[in-house]
Amino acid sequence: MIELKNIAKSFGTRQVLRDVSFSIAAGEVACLIGPSGSGKSTILRTINGLERHDAGTITVDGTLLTDAALPAIRRKVSMVFQRFNLFPHRTVIENIIEGPVQVLGEDAESARLRAMELLKRVDLADRADAYPGQLSGGQQQRIGIARALAMGPQAILFDEPTSALDPERVGEVLAVMRELTQDGMTMVVVTHEISFAREVADRALFIDEGVILEDGPAREVLTAPSAERTRLFLDRVLSPL
Amino acid sequence: MSEFMTDAIAFLPVLGRGLVTTILLTLCALAVSLALGLVWALMGLSQHAPLRWTNKIVVNTVRGIPIIVQLFCVYFVLPEWGIDLDPFVAGAVGLGIAYSVYQAENLRGGFESVDKQLVEAGTALGMSRAQVTRRVVMPLGLRTALPSFGNTTVMLLKDSSIASTITVAELTRSGQLLAISTFKNGTVYVLIALLYLAASIPLAMAVRALEKKAAWR
Repeated sequence: MIELKNIAKSFGTRQVLRDVSFSIAAGEVACLIGPSGSGKSTILRTINGLERHDAGTITVDGTLLTDAALPAIRRKVSMVFQRFNLFPHRTVIENIIEGPVQVLGEDAESARLRAMELLKRVDLADRADAYPGQLSGGQQQRIGIARALAMGPQAILFDEPTSALDPERVGEVLAVMRELTQDGMTMVVVTHEISFAREVADRALFIDEGVILEDGPAREVLTAPSAERTRLFLDRVLSPL
Repeated sequence: MSEFMTDAIAFLPVLGRGLVTTILLTLCALAVSLALGLVWALMGLSQHAPLRWTNKIVVNTVRGIPIIVQLFCVYFVLPEWGIDLDPFVAGAVGLGIAYSVYQAENLRGGFESVDKQLVEAGTALGMSRAQVTRRVVMPLGLRTALPSFGNTTVMLLKDSSIASTITVAELTRSGQLLAISTFKNGTVYVLIALLYLAASIPLAMAVRALEKKAAWR
Protein backbone atom coordinates (compact mmCIF):
# COMPACT_ATOMS: atom_id res chain seq x y z
CA MET A 1 0.00 0.00 0.00
CA ILE A 2 2.68 2.52 1.06
CA GLU A 3 6.31 1.95 0.23
CA LEU A 4 9.28 4.18 1.02
CA LYS A 5 12.68 3.38 -0.50
CA ASN A 6 15.91 5.09 0.55
CA ILE A 7 14.24 8.36 1.52
CA ALA A 8 16.55 11.23 2.42
CA LYS A 9 15.54 14.75 3.40
CA SER A 10 17.37 17.83 4.62
CA PHE A 11 16.15 21.16 5.91
CA GLY A 12 18.97 23.45 4.80
CA THR A 13 22.15 21.86 6.08
CA ARG A 14 20.41 19.73 8.71
CA GLN A 15 19.74 16.22 7.48
CA VAL A 16 16.54 14.96 9.11
CA LEU A 17 16.06 11.70 7.22
CA ARG A 18 18.84 9.44 5.98
CA ASP A 19 18.05 6.38 3.95
CA VAL A 20 14.62 5.50 5.35
CA SER A 21 12.97 2.43 3.82
CA PHE A 22 9.88 0.55 4.88
CA SER A 23 6.58 -0.57 3.48
CA ILE A 24 3.13 -0.87 4.94
CA ALA A 25 0.59 -3.38 3.68
CA ALA A 26 -3.08 -2.61 3.17
CA GLY A 27 -4.95 -2.93 6.46
CA GLU A 28 -1.80 -2.70 8.49
CA VAL A 29 -1.49 -0.33 11.47
CA ALA A 30 2.04 0.99 11.93
CA CYS A 31 3.24 3.26 14.70
CA LEU A 32 6.25 5.51 14.30
CA ILE A 33 7.86 6.24 17.63
CA GLY A 34 11.00 8.04 18.65
CA PRO A 35 12.30 11.13 20.43
CA SER A 36 11.20 14.57 19.24
CA GLY A 37 13.27 15.80 16.34
CA SER A 38 13.96 12.24 15.24
CA GLY A 39 12.25 12.77 11.88
CA LYS A 40 9.10 10.71 12.43
CA SER A 41 6.68 13.53 11.56
CA THR A 42 8.78 14.38 8.52
CA ILE A 43 8.50 10.78 7.32
CA LEU A 44 4.73 10.97 7.65
CA ARG A 45 4.60 14.29 5.80
CA THR A 46 6.62 13.01 2.86
CA ILE A 47 3.99 10.31 2.23
CA ASN A 48 1.35 12.87 1.13
CA GLY A 49 3.87 15.34 -0.22
CA LEU A 50 3.53 18.03 2.47
CA GLU A 51 7.32 17.68 2.58
CA ARG A 52 9.24 16.93 -0.58
CA HIS A 53 11.83 14.21 -0.19
CA ASP A 54 15.31 14.90 -1.61
CA ALA A 55 16.17 11.34 -2.61
CA GLY A 56 14.55 7.93 -2.85
CA THR A 57 11.11 6.87 -4.03
CA ILE A 58 7.67 6.73 -2.44
CA THR A 59 4.92 4.56 -3.89
CA VAL A 60 1.32 4.74 -2.73
CA ASP A 61 -1.09 2.07 -3.95
CA GLY A 62 1.16 1.39 -6.93
CA THR A 63 1.51 5.07 -7.89
CA LEU A 64 4.95 6.66 -7.75
CA LEU A 65 4.81 9.93 -5.81
CA THR A 66 5.67 12.78 -8.17
CA ASP A 67 4.37 16.36 -8.41
CA ALA A 68 1.92 15.22 -11.08
CA ALA A 69 0.68 12.28 -9.00
CA LEU A 70 0.20 14.29 -5.78
CA PRO A 71 -3.50 15.16 -6.28
CA ALA A 72 -4.35 11.50 -6.89
CA ILE A 73 -2.29 10.36 -3.90
CA ARG A 74 -3.85 12.93 -1.56
CA ARG A 75 -7.28 11.57 -2.43
CA LYS A 76 -6.18 8.13 -1.33
CA VAL A 77 -4.31 9.17 1.80
CA SER A 78 -5.90 11.44 4.41
CA MET A 79 -4.16 13.13 7.29
CA VAL A 80 -5.02 13.92 10.90
CA PHE A 81 -2.96 16.69 12.52
CA GLN A 82 -1.57 17.20 15.99
CA ARG A 83 -3.32 20.56 16.35
CA PHE A 84 -6.48 19.44 14.49
CA ASN A 85 -6.22 22.24 11.90
CA LEU A 86 -9.97 22.48 11.44
CA PHE A 87 -11.07 25.49 9.37
CA PRO A 88 -12.17 27.97 12.09
CA HIS A 89 -14.53 29.89 9.80
CA ARG A 90 -16.57 26.82 8.90
CA THR A 91 -18.93 24.77 11.03
CA VAL A 92 -18.22 21.17 11.94
CA ILE A 93 -20.29 19.80 9.08
CA GLU A 94 -18.84 22.31 6.60
CA ASN A 95 -15.37 21.18 7.64
CA ILE A 96 -16.26 17.58 6.90
CA ILE A 97 -17.86 18.17 3.49
CA GLU A 98 -15.17 20.62 2.33
CA GLY A 99 -12.97 17.92 0.80
CA PRO A 100 -15.72 15.79 -0.74
CA VAL A 101 -17.46 18.80 -2.33
CA GLN A 102 -14.43 20.86 -3.38
CA VAL A 103 -11.98 18.09 -4.26
CA LEU A 104 -14.08 15.04 -5.16
CA GLY A 105 -16.88 17.10 -6.73
CA GLU A 106 -19.58 15.38 -4.68
CA ASP A 107 -22.88 17.26 -4.46
CA ALA A 108 -23.40 19.04 -1.15
CA GLU A 109 -26.55 17.16 -0.19
CA SER A 110 -25.12 13.64 -0.38
CA ALA A 111 -21.88 14.85 1.22
CA ARG A 112 -23.96 16.20 4.12
CA LEU A 113 -25.75 12.88 4.57
CA ARG A 114 -22.46 11.01 4.65
CA ALA A 115 -21.01 13.61 7.00
CA MET A 116 -23.89 13.09 9.44
CA GLU A 117 -23.16 9.34 9.41
CA LEU A 118 -19.50 10.06 10.18
CA LEU A 119 -20.50 12.44 12.96
CA LYS A 120 -22.57 9.68 14.55
CA ARG A 121 -19.58 7.42 14.27
CA VAL A 122 -17.40 9.84 16.24
CA ASP A 123 -20.32 10.52 18.57
CA LEU A 124 -20.70 14.23 17.74
CA ALA A 125 -23.89 14.32 15.67
CA ASP A 126 -25.33 17.00 17.96
CA ARG A 127 -22.45 19.41 17.24
CA ALA A 128 -22.82 19.51 13.44
CA ASP A 129 -23.49 23.25 13.37
CA ALA A 130 -20.97 24.29 16.01
CA TYR A 131 -17.77 26.11 15.10
CA PRO A 132 -14.47 24.39 15.93
CA GLY A 133 -13.66 27.10 18.48
CA GLN A 134 -16.69 26.05 20.50
CA LEU A 135 -15.45 22.46 20.90
CA SER A 136 -12.96 20.84 23.25
CA GLY A 137 -9.66 19.57 21.88
CA GLY A 138 -10.85 15.97 22.00
CA GLN A 139 -14.03 16.84 20.11
CA GLN A 140 -12.04 18.81 17.53
CA GLN A 141 -9.73 15.90 16.94
CA ARG A 142 -12.68 13.52 16.47
CA ILE A 143 -13.96 15.97 13.84
CA GLY A 144 -10.47 15.94 12.34
CA ILE A 145 -10.76 12.16 12.00
CA ALA A 146 -14.27 12.45 10.53
CA ARG A 147 -12.96 14.99 8.01
CA ALA A 148 -10.19 12.57 7.03
CA LEU A 149 -12.68 9.68 6.69
CA ALA A 150 -15.04 11.76 4.53
CA MET A 151 -12.54 11.53 1.69
CA GLY A 152 -13.01 7.75 1.63
CA PRO A 153 -9.27 7.22 2.01
CA GLN A 154 -7.40 3.96 1.65
CA ALA A 155 -5.01 5.02 4.38
CA ILE A 156 -4.86 7.68 7.11
CA LEU A 157 -1.72 9.36 8.40
CA PHE A 158 -1.91 10.46 12.04
CA ASP A 159 0.63 13.08 13.16
CA GLU A 160 0.72 12.88 16.98
CA PRO A 161 -3.08 12.99 17.16
CA THR A 162 -3.26 13.11 20.96
CA SER A 163 -0.21 15.22 21.84
CA ALA A 164 -2.09 18.53 22.00
CA LEU A 165 -4.92 17.16 24.14
CA ASP A 166 -5.63 17.45 27.85
CA PRO A 167 -4.88 14.07 29.42
CA GLU A 168 -8.55 13.34 30.17
CA ARG A 169 -9.42 13.90 26.48
CA VAL A 170 -6.90 11.42 25.05
CA GLY A 171 -9.09 8.37 25.64
CA GLU A 172 -12.02 9.48 23.48
CA VAL A 173 -9.73 10.04 20.47
CA LEU A 174 -7.90 6.75 20.95
CA ALA A 175 -11.29 5.02 21.14
CA VAL A 176 -12.24 6.31 17.69
CA MET A 177 -8.85 5.25 16.32
CA ARG A 178 -9.19 1.82 17.90
CA GLU A 179 -12.51 1.40 16.08
CA LEU A 180 -10.85 2.31 12.79
CA THR A 181 -8.25 -0.39 13.22
CA GLN A 182 -11.05 -2.89 13.71
CA ASP A 183 -12.57 -1.77 10.41
CA GLY A 184 -9.32 -2.64 8.68
CA MET A 185 -8.16 0.92 7.88
CA THR A 186 -4.52 1.25 6.89
CA MET A 187 -2.97 3.62 9.40
CA VAL A 188 0.43 5.18 9.96
CA VAL A 189 0.51 6.79 13.39
CA VAL A 190 3.23 9.00 14.84
CA THR A 191 2.59 8.75 18.56
CA HIS A 192 3.94 8.83 22.08
CA GLU A 193 1.08 6.65 23.33
CA ILE A 194 3.17 3.52 23.82
CA SER A 195 0.44 1.48 25.49
CA PHE A 196 -2.02 2.32 22.72
CA ALA A 197 0.58 1.36 20.13
CA ARG A 198 1.27 -1.90 21.92
CA GLU A 199 -2.44 -2.67 21.99
CA VAL A 200 -3.60 -1.82 18.47
CA ALA A 201 -0.56 -1.55 16.20
CA ASP A 202 0.63 -4.43 14.05
CA ARG A 203 4.01 -2.83 13.52
CA ALA A 204 6.21 -0.43 15.39
CA LEU A 205 9.10 1.48 13.90
CA PHE A 206 11.56 3.19 16.19
CA ILE A 207 13.21 6.21 14.59
CA ASP A 208 16.17 8.17 15.89
CA GLU A 209 18.18 10.86 14.14
CA GLY A 210 16.53 10.19 10.81
CA VAL A 211 17.23 6.46 10.78
CA ILE A 212 14.92 3.51 11.46
CA LEU A 213 16.62 1.75 14.33
CA GLU A 214 14.03 -0.96 14.77
CA ASP A 215 11.13 -2.30 12.74
CA GLY A 216 9.05 -5.24 13.87
CA PRO A 217 5.82 -6.45 15.44
CA ALA A 218 4.59 -3.75 17.85
CA ARG A 219 4.43 -6.06 20.86
CA GLU A 220 8.03 -7.13 20.34
CA VAL A 221 9.51 -3.72 19.62
CA LEU A 222 7.63 -2.04 22.43
CA THR A 223 8.00 -4.73 25.07
CA ALA A 224 11.37 -6.29 24.39
CA PRO A 225 13.30 -4.00 22.05
CA SER A 226 16.56 -5.30 20.70
CA ALA A 227 18.34 -1.97 20.32
CA GLU A 228 19.78 -0.29 23.41
CA ARG A 229 18.63 3.13 22.14
CA THR A 230 15.00 1.93 21.89
CA ARG A 231 15.14 0.52 25.42
CA LEU A 232 16.41 3.83 26.83
CA PHE A 233 13.70 5.76 25.03
CA LEU A 234 10.91 3.45 26.21
CA ASP A 235 12.20 3.57 29.80
CA ARG A 236 12.09 7.35 29.69
CA VAL A 237 8.64 7.52 28.10
CA LEU A 238 7.03 4.88 30.29
CA SER A 239 8.52 6.01 33.60
CA PRO A 240 9.42 9.68 33.25
CA LEU A 241 10.34 9.98 36.92
CA MET B 1 -23.97 82.85 16.13
CA SER B 2 -27.40 83.38 14.60
CA GLU B 3 -25.64 84.75 11.52
CA PHE B 4 -23.68 81.46 11.36
CA MET B 5 -26.93 79.53 11.52
CA THR B 6 -28.62 81.53 8.75
CA ASP B 7 -25.55 81.19 6.55
CA ALA B 8 -25.26 77.50 7.35
CA ILE B 9 -28.85 76.88 6.35
CA ALA B 10 -28.28 78.79 3.12
CA PHE B 11 -25.03 76.92 2.32
CA LEU B 12 -26.08 73.39 3.29
CA PRO B 13 -27.92 72.48 0.06
CA VAL B 14 -24.81 73.31 -2.01
CA LEU B 15 -22.44 71.57 0.41
CA GLY B 16 -24.86 68.64 0.69
CA ARG B 17 -24.62 68.07 -3.06
CA GLY B 18 -20.85 68.21 -2.70
CA LEU B 19 -20.99 65.66 0.12
CA VAL B 20 -23.03 63.28 -2.05
CA THR B 21 -20.39 63.54 -4.77
CA THR B 22 -17.66 62.99 -2.17
CA ILE B 23 -19.36 59.83 -0.95
CA LEU B 24 -19.93 58.51 -4.49
CA LEU B 25 -16.33 59.31 -5.40
CA THR B 26 -15.10 57.52 -2.28
CA LEU B 27 -17.21 54.44 -3.02
CA CYS B 28 -16.08 54.25 -6.67
CA ALA B 29 -12.42 54.78 -5.73
CA LEU B 30 -12.86 52.16 -2.99
CA ALA B 31 -14.14 49.62 -5.51
CA VAL B 32 -11.24 50.33 -7.89
CA SER B 33 -8.70 50.19 -5.06
CA LEU B 34 -10.03 46.89 -3.72
CA ALA B 35 -10.16 45.20 -7.12
CA LEU B 36 -6.64 46.33 -8.03
CA GLY B 37 -5.40 45.78 -4.47
CA LEU B 38 -6.57 42.17 -4.53
CA VAL B 39 -4.69 41.63 -7.79
CA TRP B 40 -1.49 43.17 -6.34
CA ALA B 41 -1.85 41.17 -3.10
CA LEU B 42 -2.31 37.85 -4.91
CA MET B 43 0.66 38.70 -7.14
CA GLY B 44 2.72 39.40 -4.04
CA LEU B 45 1.91 35.96 -2.62
CA SER B 46 2.41 34.12 -5.91
CA GLN B 47 4.90 31.29 -6.23
CA HIS B 48 6.09 32.82 -9.52
CA ALA B 49 8.95 35.23 -8.92
CA PRO B 50 8.20 37.62 -11.84
CA LEU B 51 4.71 38.24 -10.43
CA ARG B 52 6.17 38.98 -7.00
CA TRP B 53 8.68 41.43 -8.54
CA THR B 54 5.91 43.16 -10.47
CA ASN B 55 4.00 43.52 -7.21
CA LYS B 56 7.03 45.08 -5.47
CA ILE B 57 7.65 47.50 -8.33
CA VAL B 58 4.00 48.58 -8.53
CA VAL B 59 3.58 49.02 -4.78
CA ASN B 60 6.79 50.99 -4.33
CA THR B 61 6.23 53.17 -7.39
CA VAL B 62 2.62 54.08 -6.66
CA ARG B 63 3.30 54.57 -2.95
CA GLY B 64 6.21 56.90 -3.75
CA ILE B 65 4.26 59.38 -5.87
CA PRO B 66 2.04 62.05 -4.22
CA ILE B 67 -1.65 61.39 -4.80
CA ILE B 68 -2.16 64.85 -6.29
CA VAL B 69 0.51 64.14 -8.91
CA GLN B 70 -1.15 60.80 -9.75
CA LEU B 71 -4.49 62.56 -10.23
CA PHE B 72 -2.84 65.14 -12.52
CA CYS B 73 -1.30 62.28 -14.52
CA VAL B 74 -4.68 60.66 -15.04
CA TYR B 75 -6.54 63.91 -15.76
CA PHE B 76 -3.98 65.98 -17.69
CA VAL B 77 -1.48 63.47 -19.15
CA LEU B 78 -3.73 60.63 -20.34
CA PRO B 79 -5.64 62.95 -22.76
CA GLU B 80 -2.32 63.46 -24.60
CA TRP B 81 -2.50 59.74 -25.38
CA GLY B 82 -6.10 59.97 -26.43
CA ILE B 83 -7.65 58.86 -23.14
CA ASP B 84 -9.93 61.71 -22.13
CA LEU B 85 -11.70 61.06 -18.85
CA ASP B 86 -14.52 62.97 -17.20
CA PRO B 87 -13.21 64.61 -13.96
CA PHE B 88 -15.24 62.32 -11.71
CA VAL B 89 -14.03 59.18 -13.50
CA ALA B 90 -10.45 60.46 -13.53
CA GLY B 91 -10.76 61.13 -9.79
CA ALA B 92 -12.16 57.67 -9.03
CA VAL B 93 -9.52 55.94 -11.17
CA GLY B 94 -6.65 58.08 -9.87
CA LEU B 95 -7.61 57.71 -6.21
CA GLY B 96 -8.36 54.02 -6.80
CA ILE B 97 -4.89 53.40 -8.21
CA ALA B 98 -3.21 55.47 -5.49
CA TYR B 99 -5.06 53.57 -2.77
CA SER B 100 -4.80 50.13 -4.36
CA VAL B 101 -1.28 49.72 -2.99
CA TYR B 102 -2.43 50.40 0.57
CA GLN B 103 -5.29 47.95 0.11
CA ALA B 104 -2.81 45.44 -1.30
CA GLU B 105 -0.64 45.76 1.78
CA ASN B 106 -3.70 45.42 4.05
CA LEU B 107 -4.81 42.30 2.22
CA ARG B 108 -1.33 40.80 2.02
CA GLY B 109 -0.87 41.30 5.74
CA GLY B 110 -4.20 39.56 6.35
CA PHE B 111 -3.45 36.68 4.01
CA GLU B 112 0.02 36.17 5.48
CA SER B 113 -1.40 36.03 9.00
CA VAL B 114 -3.39 32.90 8.16
CA ASP B 115 -2.03 29.89 10.05
CA LYS B 116 0.19 27.87 7.67
CA GLN B 117 -1.15 24.69 9.26
CA LEU B 118 -4.62 25.48 7.90
CA VAL B 119 -3.08 25.81 4.46
CA GLU B 120 -1.53 22.37 5.00
CA ALA B 121 -4.88 20.96 6.10
CA GLY B 122 -6.44 22.12 2.82
CA THR B 123 -3.48 20.86 0.82
CA ALA B 124 -3.63 17.46 2.51
CA LEU B 125 -7.32 17.24 1.57
CA GLY B 126 -6.18 17.45 -2.04
CA MET B 127 -7.18 21.08 -2.66
CA SER B 128 -5.23 22.94 -5.34
CA ARG B 129 -3.26 26.06 -4.46
CA ALA B 130 -6.01 28.19 -5.97
CA GLN B 131 -8.69 26.36 -3.96
CA VAL B 132 -6.73 26.78 -0.73
CA THR B 133 -6.34 30.50 -1.49
CA ARG B 134 -10.03 30.94 -2.29
CA ARG B 135 -11.52 28.70 0.41
CA VAL B 136 -9.10 29.11 3.32
CA VAL B 137 -6.62 31.98 2.97
CA MET B 138 -8.96 34.65 1.58
CA PRO B 139 -11.92 34.27 3.95
CA LEU B 140 -9.66 34.10 7.02
CA GLY B 141 -7.22 36.77 5.81
CA LEU B 142 -10.00 39.24 4.95
CA ARG B 143 -11.25 39.10 8.53
CA THR B 144 -7.82 39.90 9.87
CA ALA B 145 -7.45 42.74 7.34
CA LEU B 146 -10.77 44.38 8.31
CA PRO B 147 -9.50 46.88 10.92
CA SER B 148 -6.73 48.23 8.69
CA PHE B 149 -9.18 48.19 5.81
CA GLY B 150 -11.47 50.48 7.84
CA ASN B 151 -8.61 52.91 8.51
CA THR B 152 -7.71 53.03 4.85
CA THR B 153 -11.29 53.74 3.85
CA VAL B 154 -11.55 56.71 6.23
CA MET B 155 -8.25 58.04 4.83
CA LEU B 156 -9.62 57.60 1.31
CA LEU B 157 -12.74 59.58 2.22
CA LYS B 158 -10.59 62.48 3.40
CA ASP B 159 -8.14 62.27 0.49
CA SER B 160 -11.02 62.37 -1.99
CA SER B 161 -10.80 66.13 -1.35
CA ILE B 162 -7.67 66.09 -3.54
CA ALA B 163 -10.01 65.51 -6.50
CA SER B 164 -11.08 69.15 -6.02
CA THR B 165 -7.83 70.04 -7.84
CA ILE B 166 -9.06 68.36 -11.02
CA THR B 167 -12.43 70.18 -10.90
CA VAL B 168 -14.55 67.39 -9.40
CA ALA B 169 -17.41 69.22 -7.67
CA GLU B 170 -17.09 67.29 -4.43
CA LEU B 171 -17.41 68.71 -0.92
CA THR B 172 -14.12 70.60 -0.71
CA ARG B 173 -14.46 72.11 -4.20
CA SER B 174 -18.09 73.17 -3.62
CA GLY B 175 -16.98 74.78 -0.37
CA GLN B 176 -14.07 76.61 -1.99
CA LEU B 177 -16.36 78.07 -4.67
CA LEU B 178 -18.86 79.06 -2.01
CA ALA B 179 -16.18 80.71 0.12
CA ILE B 180 -14.77 82.64 -2.82
CA SER B 181 -18.16 84.00 -3.83
CA THR B 182 -19.47 84.80 -0.32
CA PHE B 183 -16.24 85.61 1.60
CA LYS B 184 -17.68 83.56 4.50
CA ASN B 185 -14.54 81.47 4.92
CA GLY B 186 -15.12 80.70 8.57
CA THR B 187 -18.66 79.40 8.16
CA VAL B 188 -17.91 77.45 5.01
CA TYR B 189 -14.78 75.64 6.23
CA VAL B 190 -16.23 74.82 9.63
CA LEU B 191 -19.23 73.32 7.84
CA ILE B 192 -16.99 71.31 5.48
CA ALA B 193 -15.02 69.95 8.43
CA LEU B 194 -18.22 68.95 10.22
CA LEU B 195 -19.60 67.26 7.11
CA TYR B 196 -16.40 65.18 6.62
CA LEU B 197 -16.64 64.15 10.27
CA ALA B 198 -20.30 63.29 9.85
CA ALA B 199 -19.42 61.01 6.96
CA SER B 200 -16.37 59.34 8.49
CA ILE B 201 -17.80 58.48 11.90
CA PRO B 202 -20.61 56.26 10.56
CA LEU B 203 -18.04 54.67 8.22
CA ALA B 204 -15.79 53.76 11.15
CA MET B 205 -18.82 52.42 13.02
CA ALA B 206 -19.90 50.34 10.03
CA VAL B 207 -16.47 48.75 9.80
CA ARG B 208 -16.49 47.98 13.51
CA ALA B 209 -19.92 46.36 13.17
CA LEU B 210 -18.60 44.31 10.26
CA GLU B 211 -15.64 43.19 12.39
CA LYS B 212 -17.98 41.99 15.13
CA LYS B 213 -20.11 40.14 12.62
CA ALA B 214 -17.07 38.48 11.08
CA ALA B 215 -15.86 37.06 14.38
CA TRP B 216 -16.77 33.38 14.28
CA ARG B 217 -16.62 32.54 17.94
